[in-house]
Amino acid sequence: MLVSIDWIKDFVEVDDSNPKALSEKFTLATAEVEEVFVTGQHLSKMCVAEIIEIEKHPEADKLNLVTFKCFDNETRKVVCGASNVRKGLKTPFAPIGTVLPGGFELTPKKIRGVLSEGMLCSEEELGLKESSDGIMELPEDSPTGMGLVEYFNQKADIILDIDNKSLTHRPDLWGHYGMAREFSAIYKNPLKNPFDEAWMKKWEAATSKGDAPVKVRFDGESSGIGYFGLTVEGVEVGESPQWMKTRLEAVGLRPINSIVDISNYVMLELGHPNHIFDRDKISGSEVVVKRLNSEEEFVTLDEEKRSLKPDDTVISDKNGVLVLAGIMGGLNSGVTENTKTIFIEVANWKAAEVRRTSSRLGLRTDSSQRFEKSLDSFQMKKTLFRILELVMELNPNAKIVGNLQYDGQELKDEDLKLTLKTAKINSILGLELESSEMVSILNALDFKTSLSGDHLEVIVPTFRKTKDIECGDDIIEEIGRIVGYDNIPQRSPKLDIAPTKFSHAKILHRKIQDFLVYHSTAFEVMTYPLIGDKLLDKAKWPIRDQFKLINALSKDHSQMRDSLVPSLLESTSENSKNFQKGRFFEIGRRYLGDKKDFRKEVSSLGMVFFDKEETPFNSLADNVDGLLRSIGINFQFTGKHPKFKNEAVPEEWMGVHPHEFLNIQIMGKMRGVVFSVHPLVLKSFKIKGNVSMALIDIGHFENNPIKNKVKYKPLPKFPNSKFDFTVMAKSDAGIGEVLLAAKKTKFKELEGVEILDVFKEHDDQKAITLRATFADPEKTLPTEVLTQGQEALVNSLNKAGFPLKT
Amino acid sequence: MKEKLDALFEEFKNGIAPMATQAEILNFKAEYLGKNGQISQILKSLKDLSNDERKAVGPLANQVKEKMNGLVVERLAEIEVAEVNKKLEQNKIDISDRFANRANVLCHGGLHPTTIIQREVEDIFVSMGFEVLDGPHMEDDYHNFEALNIPADHPARDMQDTFWFQTEEGKGKHLLRTHTSTIQVRGMSDRKPPFRFIAPGKVFRCERTDASHEMVFHQLEGMMVGEDISIGHLIYFMKTVLKEIFNKEVEVRLRPGFFPFVEPGFELDIRCLICNGKGCSVCKQTGWVELLPCGMVHPKVLQAGGIDSEKYNGYAFGLGLDRLVMMRYGIDDIRHLHGADLRFISQFKDY
Repeated sequence: MLVSIDWIKDFVEVDDSNPKALSEKFTLATAEVEEVFVTGQHLSKMCVAEIIEIEKHPEADKLNLVTFKCFDNETRKVVCGASNVRKGLKTPFAPIGTVLPGGFELTPKKIRGVLSEGMLCSEEELGLKESSDGIMELPEDSPTGMGLVEYFNQKADIILDIDNKSLTHRPDLWGHYGMAREFSAIYKNPLKNPFDEAWMKKWEAATSKGDAPVKVRFDGESSGIGYFGLTVEGVEVGESPQWMKTRLEAVGLRPINSIVDISNYVMLELGHPNHIFDRDKISGSEVVVKRLNSEEEFVTLDEEKRSLKPDDTVISDKNGVLVLAGIMGGLNSGVTENTKTIFIEVANWKAAEVRRTSSRLGLRTDSSQRFEKSLDSFQMKKTLFRILELVMELNPNAKIVGNLQYDGQELKDEDLKLTLKTAKINSILGLELESSEMVSILNALDFKTSLSGDHLEVIVPTFRKTKDIECGDDIIEEIGRIVGYDNIPQRSPKLDIAPTKFSHAKILHRKIQDFLVYHSTAFEVMTYPLIGDKLLDKAKWPIRDQFKLINALSKDHSQMRDSLVPSLLESTSENSKNFQKGRFFEIGRRYLGDKKDFRKEVSSLGMVFFDKEETPFNSLADNVDGLLRSIGINFQFTGKHPKFKNEAVPEEWMGVHPHEFLNIQIMGKMRGVVFSVHPLVLKSFKIKGNVSMALIDIGHFENNPIKNKVKYKPLPKFPNSKFDFTVMAKSDAGIGEVLLAAKKTKFKELEGVEILDVFKEHDDQKAITLRATFADPEKTLPTEVLTQGQEALVNSLNKAGFPLKT
Repeated sequence: MKEKLDALFEEFKNGIAPMATQAEILNFKAEYLGKNGQISQILKSLKDLSNDERKAVGPLANQVKEKMNGLVVERLAEIEVAEVNKKLEQNKIDISDRFANRANVLCHGGLHPTTIIQREVEDIFVSMGFEVLDGPHMEDDYHNFEALNIPADHPARDMQDTFWFQTEEGKGKHLLRTHTSTIQVRGMSDRKPPFRFIAPGKVFRCERTDASHEMVFHQLEGMMVGEDISIGHLIYFMKTVLKEIFNKEVEVRLRPGFFPFVEPGFELDIRCLICNGKGCSVCKQTGWVELLPCGMVHPKVLQAGGIDSEKYNGYAFGLGLDRLVMMRYGIDDIRHLHGADLRFISQFKDY
């Protein structure tokens, strides 16, 4: 919202010598000023020019060299492309150095080789019209050389652009008078009130006589709270006076005609939207406020067709809808140049309904924007009288016809009284204010107060209690902001000391990240939890549409993912364009359906190793092995199991490699998986080479503490004996099977078996060298025991199909 | 006799010097010190001498013998070193053939930049007695709005562009949380005052993305509840934390800000760290950068969390983690953070 300081000064004295300081003061006490600027600055450099000569530009057909008289009869020449240039024309001239309203600064410039000394301006360029054709044509009697500030009777004004979001909770600040009240409290200058009781009484009296030609009636319950209406005849619609146009323009509104401008002016002054009808376009003798019964089309002032729904509140006459309540009037009942009699509406509407209807129609107006903040019904009459005052002032022949009409809720003010302890105010603010200071701040903001001892009783003014002020803490804010939060000293609280620790989950996540970064040489990434069908199709993923958004931003982010896999594949695809191999991981969430609680979010670790040359499967599995050990998880790698489904990847998914696959069984359940991605899925992502992935649903155990399983054993007192031997196996047998067979040997003194080496022996055979360790903690092993042990070991391997190499 | 011994030693010394193999040296040694070697001969001949002569020549001959032995040990050691070094020379490796000089070798790793900053901030708060909480991303209307004093049709809902889920009739409305403030009520319900906690995490906004706007980003919520908590305390904690984060004193200012779940509510601005308050494009010439919304917890929110709002009060704040990350590293586009592009991520390698 734009605020004119010139306008504010109608109501309160403000030190405006430093616009930046002024805006900062307002930002710190009330609402954020996004920008501060001074209007009319360009006019101070400009003057009325009179064209004396026109010649063709030597290089360009459509351009002219225009010579004219300006300041002190000086002669200047510019290049001009306007078609309406002619000798004798008077037009505004902007010399070099002028900054036009659009922010365009005129600099010395050659146009097609000819130097131009500035610019003859159009109304559009001066910000007077939204568009214009050719340069501005000033009346013939305009004095040549006169400065435009004088010519337009303009004065410089400071404009504050205030962030609307910071006014969301302040219905009273949507007009200049309400803003002025803030300045009055901030600058400790009194607020002038031209709308006092005497003024109100004067207008009450003027509007109390006679029978009204247009009555107001509420037809049943609607969004209407109250509605005032008054008829005035004998108006002449024309151009508004310059002072009014200047103010409207300064705060960004285009002047239209003297009646519409008054309506807008009063809205911007008192913050209450209103509507002025052409009386003759209201059929019959009443306007009715009601909810629609059926769908209806309605053409609003902006010439758009709007589809109204049953329950929308409208103002209508016997022929149909005139105004969409609180939002916009109709095209056919508005004031035109020919209007003679007007009907003034000042009403109040339920905020939520205005908001709902306007957002449904996508029609947010100056009016709806204000009504949705919950306006004060007690401002209606004042607003109407102010409109009336201006109408009478600008239309000497105007006459009030009939008395003021009202229908709606009975306007009865019930005091909102809040009681606070001054000590509590100081305690929460962290200040030591005198009670008298609190009182004077509140009084400046129009709160009534009474103080007895430590008890401060506050009566909230009507315009602050529609939604804004509800409880004692709201009063504390009023005092705090006017004192200035900057004046509150920082202070450490006195607290009891207790140990603080990270949650088990946090510790686990950090440990996993550290292991993968420092041990696995991997990078942590993040991918979007929101994914789309295109990606799921690409991944050939069988599950989708679990949680679909109603208002997705794009099809690519339309639903929550149930797995990290598709996103990880996508980033692998991107990264494999830039890297031969790489390792990365994400700790993200899977979003799963839950019968009981709508959704279940499971923390999940996804790891990716990709390599263009060889499969990284074993190396990934080794890292997973190390990781799970480091976080103290009991787990087992197992092959595919017909009965137990893996929870980490859906069984129907074809993206899993037929051999490079291991289930990670944790506490009996298949909570994870290590696998290589099937080449067909890789092809779908245009990934060349090999990709292996590990997925672990850490959510199932992240809330348990990490167990430290270290158990110390004293070092052996007697030496152990090693036995190295080589067995044969079929070339497709896993060395894991050989090791397992060796470990199964029942022999008390067999302490452990390791694989030393594997080498190819024949085409279909490989040789595996193992090392067994025999030991007895009580004594050195005698030779015969060793021999028995070696025989037992060789036997059990032989039985398992791995004979000793001969 | 002495002259003869000296001459023999000179001869030995000169003879051994150029020898290059162990065998040569041992053979040479035998010529002098062996059973029939020249020194041995002299020592043997001592018994034929007079007592006086023996006393004079004996120690002298032994001295020469020891010196010769010393030379042999010394030379043998030299030869051994030379031999081993020669072998090492033959088995030389290229000591510049390291990971650092090879392409595409897996020798780096690193945390996500958001994790790095988040950990820093978490550690600061934990050091001051704050717990670290977590909560669901998919929320209900109650925790995201109602409990935070934002009823349906409240204009404040305009400020939050919310992603809504399709839901079956009667199952309630669900959404993606628009702020980490959802943790306020969840955290309060599980605790008895006094307490303080933070809750970092992902939040979601339905708004067009560009270099500074994302639909998914990270916030860090904080809350402290106790008796007689004041705005002065809030300022103290915020200044202390910011000083730790930026590693220098940071000037802050509070100005009114509207958030339904706090009363009074503030925007906390910091003196622009780029221009030190002189005014630049980052701070839009104001000298101040809006950093975090905060305020004293609204009594209705305390009540929604089961806290006696007559007895206790508190403050709450929200910190944009991604903003901090971008400020710290000078990142120009917020969309990199969820982009999983290793060209971006690997710049944050830890080693």
